[in-house]
Amino acid sequence: MIRTVTRRLLLGLITVACVYALTFIMVVTIPGNPLRQSGRNLSPEAEQALRVRYNMDNNWLYFRQFITGAIRGDFGPSFSYAEWTCGQIIASALPVSVLLGFLAILLAVAIGVPLGVLGAASRGGPLDLAATTIVLLGISVPTFVTGSALLVVVGVYLKLAPIGGWGDLAHLPLPALTLSLPFMAYIARLTRAGMLDVLGSDFLRTALAKGVTRRTAIWTHALRVAFLPVLSYLGPATAQAMTGSFVVEKVFGVPGMGQHFVNAALNLDAGLILSCVLVYAAILVAFNLIVDVLYAWLDPRITGAV
Amino acid sequence: MILRIMAACAFLLIVVLALFTSASHATRADFVYVNPSGIHTLDPARMSWTQDFRVALNIWEGLTTSHPETSAPMEGAAYFPPAVSEDGLTVTFSIREDAKWSNGDRVTAYDFIRGWRRAMEPGTAADYLFFFTDFIDGAHEYVRWRSENIKALAALRRLAEGVGLEPDAAKALVRHPAFEEITIPLTSRLEVPNERADEGWAAFGKTLATLPMDWSSLADRCLTQHARDMDLHFSDVGVQAVDEATLHVRLTKPCPFFFDLTAFPTLLPCHKSVERLRRRHLGLPLTAEGLVVYDPQWTKPDYTKEGYPGLITNGAYRVVDWRFKRRLRLAVNPFHRDADSIACRTVDMVVYENVSASIMAYEAGDVDFLPAMDVPYDHELARLARTGERPDFHLCQTLATFFLNFNCESETVGDRVNPFTDARVRRAFTLATDRTTLVDKVLGRGDRIARSFVPPDAIGGYEPPSGLAYDPDEARRLLAQAGYTSGSFPVVEILYVPSDAVLCQALARMWERELGVRVELRAMESKTFAEAKARQQFMVARGNWYADYYDPTTFLDCLIGDNGNNDSRYRSARYDELMAQASSAKDPIRRASLLQAAERVIVEEDCPILPILHYAQPIAIQPWVKGLYPNAQLRFPFQYVTVKR
Repeated sequence: MIRTVTRRLLLGLITVACVYALTFIMVVTIPGNPLRQSGRNLSPEAEQALRVRYNMDNNWLYFRQFITGAIRGDFGPSFSYAEWTCGQIIASALPVSVLLGFLAILLAVAIGVPLGVLGAASRGGPLDLAATTIVLLGISVPTFVTGSALLVVVGVYLKLAPIGGWGDLAHLPLPALTLSLPFMAYIARLTRAGMLDVLGSDFLRTALAKGVTRRTAIWTHALRVAFLPVLSYLGPATAQAMTGSFVVEKVFGVPGMGQHFVNAALNLDAGLILSCVLVYAAILVAFNLIVDVLYAWLDPRITGAV
Repeated sequence: MILRIMAACAFLLIVVLALFTSASHATRADFVYVNPSGIHTLDPARMSWTQDFRVALNIWEGLTTSHPETSAPMEGAAYFPPAVSEDGLTVTFSIREDAKWSNGDRVTAYDFIRGWRRAMEPGTAADYLFFFTDFIDGAHEYVRWRSENIKALAALRRLAEGVGLEPDAAKALVRHPAFEEITIPLTSRLEVPNERADEGWAAFGKTLATLPMDWSSLADRCLTQHARDMDLHFSDVGVQAVDEATLHVRLTKPCPFFFDLTAFPTLLPCHKSVERLRRRHLGLPLTAEGLVVYDPQWTKPDYTKEGYPGLITNGAYRVVDWRFKRRLRLAVNPFHRDADSIACRTVDMVVYENVSASIMAYEAGDVDFLPAMDVPYDHELARLARTGERPDFHLCQTLATFFLNFNCESETVGDRVNPFTDARVRRAFTLATDRTTLVDKVLGRGDRIARSFVPPDAIGGYEPPSGLAYDPDEARRLLAQAGYTSGSFPVVEILYVPSDAVLCQALARMWERELGVRVELRAMESKTFAEAKARQQFMVARGNWYADYYDPTTFLDCLIGDNGNNDSRYRSARYDELMAQASSAKDPIRRASLLQAAERVIVEEDCPILPILHYAQPIAIQPWVKGLYPNAQLRFPFQYVTVKR
């Protein structure tokens, strides 16, 4: 097990390195002048000095400097926010996104799994229809619609939640719910499909024949197997949820990571783009690893495959 | 099992939430306003955004300040008006004894020199470097000298790393005295290429790196010498402290708006503690390449590296807390001379990336002031403000113009012929533009129609020319005169950013209808657009300009031949001559008439730009807030604000 985990860690490092190199190439080839942050043209003297200051004429030097700094945990300065290092920006945004993403995934599992089970258990019945409808809505309605609708209904009309912002418990439920909806829907669909497979299988029939109640058979025996596809989905989903959603953050004014992915690219903020992508890649790799380990633990049959 | 996982998750959740709620809760400030995008920088030398200016002018105080209602210059850290010499070229400021930094130190003339020098030194200088190089005597020469040296030093550092030089860097090195110390072995057969020629330099720059030289120690020697010369050269710049309280400023030309400039963020002072954060090389206050660089975090209130006390400012407020893209809290500077009379003791700037959400928060009363409401339904907000249905909504008629640039230089754009090098064509397209329809019907945001570059009724003592009115018949006649018959006109391309889509689409239809030409629209993301514009890869490109001071030259200087912001690459000897005459004119009436004549050339004759509108910005001030006045530059000093809920 330790050997496989080490191997996976090494592979993960290579993945992150490739992501870094590819992003770097994209960052230095996109058109535009990152030093032009306002609508005015810089004087040649000021521009030349800034190019010297940021090593902008030497991509290879910057490539080495950035990655050696990043390994030491120093992501260097941001172009568009001079006073903040990329490290500070991520340190301020990542915990926000992680908390929100964690809540969202928790909500998604807590609601999505039972929804899928209930749907599968009463296949074709009204419960199944209701569950499928919710799933369809969750997958097809974009978060900027659900988020804005929640904000207007709950925040403006019912006055049950503040209108955007961050720092208070009351700020959490709406964005977490909005962010969880697509994940919830997908999880419910995976669970339902998994359950339908398992419900017809021999071991479950045996369990029922041995006198296990239908409830125990479904929630304990069947779910354990049906949960596996959900688990493998949870790795990338958690990484995605925890690194922030631009739309949800924008709608609710949440100071998370998602905005930086978009704004850094629009501002041609090379350091911030690279930092965000590196952090995202690292989290993605880490969660995939965690999920694979959990997988092996839940289903001993596949230990060797990890 | 799944239950166990769930239980673990629930436990984790409780811990995280407990941590989250235990984080300190700030009470609401006396006055809360929204800044949709957060702050770009608090470093006055680097600033170029209105929302940053707004904060800067609340936490720092220049030699002069702007009146909250009329925006006229008035007393700041120095007594007003200062002594001006008869020729208008020397200004002597006396700094008030009671001008104090937020740590109680006295504000001195040296603090102003420090602040100004930061804003002109390569490395810290940014968009507003031209304030110094254009208006302060000797500054242009100083910056040029510094810049040349930095190029050479950077080239030497490059060679020390074993990297060859780009042609520009090689040229700079050859021009530098250090080049005499470089011995080129005869065997290398290396010859310095012709200074004027372009060829040969790339190879020369590459070969230099192969020479057996100790580049690093040569660079160090040059740096030491340069650091020694710097103060001597700076003493030629027209900014001198006679003593702690007296600042002499020598101008390059009469500058009737100079007291607007001294109220501008770029000319703010800087406390001496910042010197602790200056980057050093070999014990010299310069980087290895000779740049002036400070630890950029000096503007943080809680930054305490290397004995730095955190940001010290001299305005009515000081920064207490700055959270990235969340909040900026200001509190009254206890040492400010008006500290006792300021009603709003604390001010919060909160960030709402979603402007609609900020409007909802305003409607809920969470927010006292919205200085920007840039939303797709802004025409509706403008209507509410105009009709008085919402007396708390106001329209600020800003000192800013939206226009189109015609490319006056390139014969071709891409593989197409650019017809706009012909002034008659530019005039024809201007005449064929029905601005009333565009501004009032298509946009309907309450903007003012622009027929001139400088907004009318905005700058005292200057009235812009009336410009060209809508006259499609004359437009068609001019096109025919320029040799174009129906259908023979090349395809016109308008380059714009997505925010102008509606306007540009309407304009394209208008030109097609009136002139029988084909117009193609090309939208570009803003940074790519800026690049295309800078490379002259356009026929017609959107542009806008925000005034920096109350004088027509803040607009008209842009179209002078060699101005860095002359995006249409318009070159007219007559215009440049009129502008030069105006610049040296001492009589204000003659100056105004010269400027008017110059502007007439650009808006009625040569038409390098097509002014379309002067922006109106809707803002919202809660009825319980007094002392905030809509103004053209969107500057809002909070020290005069009272809040009575």
